[in-house]
Amino acid sequence: MIPSDIIFEDDLSFEEKALKIFELQRQNNPVYQRFCKALEISKPSTLSEIPLLPIQAFKDAEVINALENSKFKIQNLEFYSSGTSGMERSGHYVSDPDIYRQSIVSGMRHFYDLDEYAIWAYTPGYNDNPNSSLIWMLNTLIEREKSGLSAFLELGKPLDETAIREIKESGKKLMLFGAAFGLMDILENHPVQLPENTVIIETGGMKTHRREITKEELHKQLAGGFGLPQSHIHSEYGMTELLSQAYAQGSLWFECVPWMKVSIRNPEAPMQKVRNGEEGLIGVMDLANLHSCSFILTGDRGIQRKDGKFQVLGRWNPQNLRGCNFLIDQD
Amino acid sequence: MQLFDRSGLSRIETHIEKVRKATRKWLEIENLHLQKAIKKTVVEGLFSEQDIQHQLKVLRENLENGDIQEWVKRSGLNDQNNAKDKKVLCLHAGNLPLVGFQTALGTILSGADYHGKLSRKDPYLLGAFLEEIREAGLEQEAQFSTDLNSFRNLQVDKVVFAGSQESVPEVKEEIANISAAKKDAEYIIRTAKFSIAYLDEWDEEVKEMLVEAMLRYGGKGCRSVAVVVSKFGLDEVKEELKASVQNYWKENPQHKNPTPDLKYQYAYNEGIKRNQLWLEDFLIQRTEEMPETDFAVNWVKGDEGKVRELRMKFGELVQSVYTMGETIESLKTEPLASAQKPPMWWKPDGMDVVKELIKKE
Repeated sequence: MIPSDIIFEDDLSFEEKALKIFELQRQNNPVYQRFCKALEISKPSTLSEIPLLPIQAFKDAEVINALENSKFKIQNLEFYSSGTSGMERSGHYVSDPDIYRQSIVSGMRHFYDLDEYAIWAYTPGYNDNPNSSLIWMLNTLIEREKSGLSAFLELGKPLDETAIREIKESGKKLMLFGAAFGLMDILENHPVQLPENTVIIETGGMKTHRREITKEELHKQLAGGFGLPQSHIHSEYGMTELLSQAYAQGSLWFECVPWMKVSIRNPEAPMQKVRNGEEGLIGVMDLANLHSCSFILTGDRGIQRKDGKFQVLGRWNPQNLRGCNFLIDQD
Repeated sequence: MQLFDRSGLSRIETHIEKVRKATRKWLEIENLHLQKAIKKTVVEGLFSEQDIQHQLKVLRENLENGDIQEWVKRSGLNDQNNAKDKKVLCLHAGNLPLVGFQTALGTILSGADYHGKLSRKDPYLLGAFLEEIREAGLEQEAQFSTDLNSFRNLQVDKVVFAGSQESVPEVKEEIANISAAKKDAEYIIRTAKFSIAYLDEWDEEVKEMLVEAMLRYGGKGCRSVAVVVSKFGLDEVKEELKASVQNYWKENPQHKNPTPDLKYQYAYNEGIKRNQLWLEDFLIQRTEEMPETDFAVNWVKGDEGKVRELRMKFGELVQSVYTMGETIESLKTEPLASAQKPPMWWKPDGMDVVKELIKKE
């Protein structure tokens, strides 16, 4: 067994930790074990030799470290992706919620001086959606902030200007989380100016039945609408299948926490990384997924630059693979 | 008023006869130009000889069956109703041998000026056909090139190509950059990507037809079967299917190898314990998902209702639904046997290219 502390400590390099976790999961996670066996991979010696499990596995199977015939299968938390009607949802069984808690708080501390902020979440409340990993994350941040100024906000209602003033007067800064379309709704229905040191963190959700805009445009509109500099509009890249998050602070480039690494993979050969600046599938190594699978190939399209920062460009669309296509550059 | 030539044929009949004769000449086994084109295509590794010969054999049979005349009849092409004086640019894809032949032939039959951007991946076979057309003394133009720049300032009325909705803006931009089409030119875009086979019986004949429908051209092209719906599960026929595929490959070796993502998909299926038939260069897997990986076929146990459901789910990406002869209520079906030997007048995306080109604005 590997103690969960090693995930967040600096004693070992990322590669050393990842190789240890690979071995743990290859031996104890039946889905990952069969996957690695079929690929004939058993003893990788570098990060690039570790295979990334397609994220779809969280929909098609239980991805958890517990042999199938074992009685030891504790499931303290079950997270599900939101999904739309008719869509199969992903499930992430989290055996040790403390790892997720630590990943959330240490992750935020890596990017922000967390104690300076009151947290507002313009999302459904925890009681309405206890199986959402995002809501659980926001609840953790709100609960640990003891000033009483942090809260889940009621959807569809205007932001409370008195409460905004109280935060300002308390010397704290406001950190407002919300899905892209939810934040746009506030601007449309109940516009309000926020203190200039406020940070807005949008958590995705670019497509709605009403509108679809680019991320750049969204950030511009949010900044203008709330009276903030564009550098104060941040984004979070997270998903049910990951217990760590990446953040983009004032630009479209995301940066990972130290126990998470992103690489861009060739969709036709997922063991290969593409060159910096080339589009491909976003691959994630998230060491906080200690008891599920830390090595994941997402269905997202992305690019990465030399310093490791990456952009999310949307969903990968594989429809060009089959049939007859006239391709400008090839035909 | 109809114009007749000395043979008593109307103008359009003369035109059709010239096209038919040119096609026949091109397809002659002794035709040295065709032989040279086949050789070059094979030597350069563009396609396998077996796939090329299969395609040519089907075209020869269709021609002798009177498919050109049938196509004219079905499309309503006549002296009054044709595309004479229209300019059409065809952008041919090159992922299976002669994939653009039907579009080229249809455009030429319609009477329109044909301008073909041949694929660099299949320039010789279609090129040899178009040379015969040029020599046939038709009234219309028949120009072709593998270089898109050759069509600069052409100002065509219509552009025909196969692609996806995502690829349309890029293609339109390129066409606009070189002024190849008029600003208000019509784009006829084909988006179908694969076909579905429905099987309610299983015997030697079905097995052979299915294997041909799945594996010809490495499973590429919209007429290839990428989804099988059957009353029986993959498990029940796996071993027989494996033997049939291996026999097929003895006669028709797979020309191109899949990329490593196919093995990745196999490994994924092992991970989640999905039933599958792994054949190293081809994968048949039990799933209802959209077929996204080349060299892979998705197998679904189900009835006619399931076929309807999947047809609706996959929408415009589906070219044809094949059966062993049964009809499926509210769906158009074709015989499985015709999957890789369609008549000349088949309708990509349900659209008759001749009819589309001659329709009044």
